[in-house]
Amino acid sequence: MGVPRGPQPFPGQEKRLRLLAFVRQDSVVRVDKRVEDTAMVWPHLLVIEFIAAMLWTIGLFAISAAFNAPLQDHSTPDCTPNPSKAPWYLLNLQELLLHMDKGLAGVVVPTLWLVFMAFIPYIDRSREGVGIYFTTPKGRTITIFAAVYATVLTFTLIVLDKVLKDVGYIEFASDHFPGGKQLFPNYLIPIATMLGLSFLLVVIVKRLYGAGTREWMIAIFTGFVSVYLVLTIVGTSMRGTGMNLFLPWDVPSTHQCFEPGPL
Amino acid sequence: MLEIPAQLWQRTKSSYIWRSFFRHGYPDSRKNQSLAVFTNVFLHLHPVKVRRHALAIPYTWCMGGLSFFLFLVLTLTGTLLMFYYRPTTEWAYSDIKDLETVVLFGQLLRNMHRWAAHGMVITVFLHMIRVFYTGSYKPPREFNWVIGTLLFFFTILLSYTGYLLPWDQLSFWAVTVGYEIARATPFIGDEFSFVLFGGYQLGPNALLRFYVLHVVGLPLVVGFLIAIHFWRIRKDGGITGPL
Repeated sequence: MGVPRGPQPFPGQEKRLRLLAFVRQDSVVRVDKRVEDTAMVWPHLLVIEFIAAMLWTIGLFAISAAFNAPLQDHSTPDCTPNPSKAPWYLLNLQELLLHMDKGLAGVVVPTLWLVFMAFIPYIDRSREGVGIYFTTPKGRTITIFAAVYATVLTFTLIVLDKVLKDVGYIEFASDHFPGGKQLFPNYLIPIATMLGLSFLLVVIVKRLYGAGTREWMIAIFTGFVSVYLVLTIVGTSMRGTGMNLFLPWDVPSTHQCFEPGPL
Repeated sequence: MLEIPAQLWQRTKSSYIWRSFFRHGYPDSRKNQSLAVFTNVFLHLHPVKVRRHALAIPYTWCMGGLSFFLFLVLTLTGTLLMFYYRPTTEWAYSDIKDLETVVLFGQLLRNMHRWAAHGMVITVFLHMIRVFYTGSYKPPREFNWVIGTLLFFFTILLSYTGYLLPWDQLSFWAVTVGYEIARATPFIGDEFSFVLFGGYQLGPNALLRFYVLHVVGLPLVVGFLIAIHFWRIRKDGGITGPL
């Protein structure tokens, strides 16, 4: 027996142990780990990733060859396009701005929404239904219900807001409401509507479907996503001159230069 | 005839130099397939084996992976665009014009960057939808969901800061909308917008700040968050599947 290869232990430390890994039982080790449930990453996963990357590369080249990125005239601070719109992924916020206070719509609501989103796993802590779309068939029904509920209500509220403003609701509020046209129309009513309708959705799915935590979370998330999409669609394709509401096919083209009249 | 190239190939593969690059043979055996994954710095993000369930395309729609793919495309095309772009109000617009008219493949490069950016906002959003509906935020993946929501927020911010850079009417007024929103932040609106836009109106400072955030600050933050996100996927037991 010769000396084993590799670095030699220091005298007195011949029996060294190496701690390979400290792993919490519940995070990594799968119970009932069967060989037939697994596949080698090379080639099975890598081939999918490679094909997906190739298809998207080709698609991106094709789209980029076919459609040019927009470029308008050099910016001029004196010449405001009517309407001025944010990028489409922020038009949901711009749409919300039309219905309540700017700071509330543009900063407070999206911040609270993101914070709530981040908190979802700390509210719904069960492990039920991991890895299964919608968890249960009931979850799927609740998703459809919440999507319809939120879509219909958001459209209704947008139209209602337009109708009310057309008949002079803001003027009426500034004359008769305590706090004028700020307190009730811009703060209290929108806050009450957003919170109230969210709570109502939870109450309905609990009563109607006997929803548990995961299921009312599905309802509230679906509701948020639906509102987000409706606001994006309305902001993108239904707002024209002066950010007025139009039907998607009647939206007038943007006035490229709105010069303020004589003061 | 084919013996000569075959021999040459064999000799190359058994050469000292080749074996210093690749420490395994062609991945056609389980052992070499494993080695190919965990001795490669890029592939070692993956485990050697995954659950069969994780391969099902209708489960993930590849949306997380494609978001990362678009992030890489954007980094590459963005770096190339940086060679032609100066973030000053004198040059920004004409540099974009030059990209479209003078630079070889400049228009294609700009188009790819633009459409990939829109694409990434969509894929990140769809990825989030998938993760939510499959309950993949549940224990032990709570923290990774938090990282994911941050990544969604920073993706939008990256896209928004890039929107200003062409300095045309479209970008100027679109970002003005955002500026008005920032100014309406309760209590700290003026200070917040002053720091973010470098003044009380959109001008050279805003352009420079958005540029630095767009090409250095935010990509670094997103890069770190992606690293944590991927690391945690591995540590939390890989992609979710039925228990």
